[in-house]
Amino acid sequence: MTDGPLAWQGEAPVVGAAYAEGGAVLAFAFGDGLLRLVGVADGATRDVTVHEDAAILGLVVDGAGFLTGGDDGRMMHVTAAGEVLALASFPGKWVAAVAAHTGEGLRAAAVAKEVHLFDAKGVRAVLAHAATVEAIAFNPKGKRLAAAHYDGVSLWWTAAPAKGQAQTPKRLAWKGGHRMVSWSPDGDYVLTATQENDLHGWRVADGKDMRMSGYPVKVRSLAWTQKPPYLATSGAEAVTCWPFAGSGPMGRPPLQIPGPRDDRLVTQVASHGREPVVAAGFADGSIVLCDLRDKRTVLAREAVEGEDARISALAFAPDGRSLAWGAESGACGLLRAGGQ
Amino acid sequence: MSQVPVTVLTGYLGAGKTTLLNRILTEPHGKRYAVIVNEFGEQGIDGKLVVGADEEIFETNNGCLCCTVRGDLIRIIEGLMRRKNKFDAILVETTGLAMPAPVAQTFFVDQEVRERTRLDSIVTVVDARHYLDSVAREKEPAEQVAFADVILLNKTDLVAPETVDEIERRIRAVNAVATIHRTTRCDVALDRVLDQGSFDLERALTIEPHLLHDHDLGGGHEHDHDHGHDHHHDHGHHGHAHPAHDQEIGSIALRTGEPLDGKRTLAWISALARDQGADILRMKGILNFQGEPKRFVFQGVHMTLDGEPTQPWGENERRESVLVFIGRKLDKAALEQGLKSCIA
Repeated sequence: MTDGPLAWQGEAPVVGAAYAEGGAVLAFAFGDGLLRLVGVADGATRDVTVHEDAAILGLVVDGAGFLTGGDDGRMMHVTAAGEVLALASFPGKWVAAVAAHTGEGLRAAAVAKEVHLFDAKGVRAVLAHAATVEAIAFNPKGKRLAAAHYDGVSLWWTAAPAKGQAQTPKRLAWKGGHRMVSWSPDGDYVLTATQENDLHGWRVADGKDMRMSGYPVKVRSLAWTQKPPYLATSGAEAVTCWPFAGSGPMGRPPLQIPGPRDDRLVTQVASHGREPVVAAGFADGSIVLCDLRDKRTVLAREAVEGEDARISALAFAPDGRSLAWGAESGACGLLRAGGQ
Repeated sequence: MSQVPVTVLTGYLGAGKTTLLNRILTEPHGKRYAVIVNEFGEQGIDGKLVVGADEEIFETNNGCLCCTVRGDLIRIIEGLMRRKNKFDAILVETTGLAMPAPVAQTFFVDQEVRERTRLDSIVTVVDARHYLDSVAREKEPAEQVAFADVILLNKTDLVAPETVDEIERRIRAVNAVATIHRTTRCDVALDRVLDQGSFDLERALTIEPHLLHDHDLGGGHEHDHDHGHDHHHDHGHHGHAHPAHDQEIGSIALRTGEPLDGKRTLAWISALARDQGADILRMKGILNFQGEPKRFVFQGVHMTLDGEPTQPWGENERRESVLVFIGRKLDKAALEQGLKSCIA
């Protein structure tokens, strides 16, 4: 099988994919520091070396462009046209994760045990933690920032601190390593993926814990659908989606939508921005689209040979009309609605 | 999935780890190493892919108390894998005060790390000037020796030959199976340190424990390790008033020519790992099962166990089971009894 004209081969594993400019421009981030920008309408590509001789560790949308963090200790902004702006540098360290909130004009970088919070004027705050920060996420309104680390999550306010006032974060505690963090679309829940192959969640209002387990491997990818709200996850043979409507997922089984084979794990998930539709990428390179309403699936990409076939990046365009995918082999591509 | 080999380098402060590290980074041996050091910017380490690690012990919630892993290593190895094709092997240098168990367990407990890497061997550099003092005072030096597959007894030029012999004897009392190299500036051929396959069950054909007993020192002790210079053991040192086992860590080896019952033996070893895994630092063995043409090889770190049937026994080979346990408070009589109960 070939991936058609809208597919490319990179030199290093694809580590992320994101759409900016309302879906007009797509970026693929690679483990060799390269960002490939793709015009979604015409498929024109442009390669930009963002992290020289380094791996990109994080890619998110940042205003009209993109924000990246690398193992060279740099945080960079890349415009949709491919201009690169160095925003911060932490020599000898890794920028393990980045986050951006366009509405509030905020950016954040996780650097060892600190989170550096930036606004348009520069550094707004340096937030210290007792352990290395593994993942960060702004809440939907951009007023709070969640930082995941060993033994739980720290919740910080993003407002500029009053002079001389140190902020103490709210701690959401749960023993063990927390590797990813995500807010529900209504901002009521914070979820983490743990070192122990499960999900942990807290209701922010009262800190009430919830635990979602049963995964054979670590959960590496989380995506929220809007209406109704589901949290779709990687880490099992079936696409596993936890219902968050009403009283939340406690005591309710997840939707489990089987993939094309029952012996391949889901490695990435992405959510359609408008419909309750989830795309899932598998360890064998196959990709399916799942409609959560009727649990119907459509095969969007067939499996390929090779031990590095696994899908390592997946993103829907904001309008849901196209899907960007990348694999550990360095292969990446664009799938458009209605074929092509 | 092809697995990147990992060499773990331990040793007390000032033992000479950095010297060895720099040799690995600069000498031609056909492999490109990514190096994880305990403190970034440590003096004198050259090389492109050098990553600083900040020791973070993660307890895993799987109900096993001694099961700790290094969260920082998991994170760094996952990150390094994004640079695939840039390196062939990984070297992890631990701090002088680091306990080796969480490092070793990281490579068995974390599934993704296990999928992408394989622990090749644990190399411990021992400082001949300070070992006897530090081992009496602290826990780490004996643990680092206990976990080692390869030991460089370094800086031997700076102490008297009798002291070197004494240290070697003390090391042997803790760890009866590691290969010991006497060195002055970590001057050992790198092919004796790298790519040892110490955790590779397929490569384990025999185990030769070097068991020293206070009263038959030297007798029957084979000098098949690579000293690089002539030496003699000082047989006049018997009456020393030192503890038989440093930090109570010792090695026990069991052998039997009688074929074992496979099912009973595996149940016994699993029970040992489960019940005494906190005190057993490492164990390994080659087992001769009744009616099984292949040898069964196992190895364990605390409560994590790994084992499989490997190479067939040779036609004229003496089929013998050999088991070695390295740990604290090991009860030799009970272990012998346990093995006896497994005889088919």
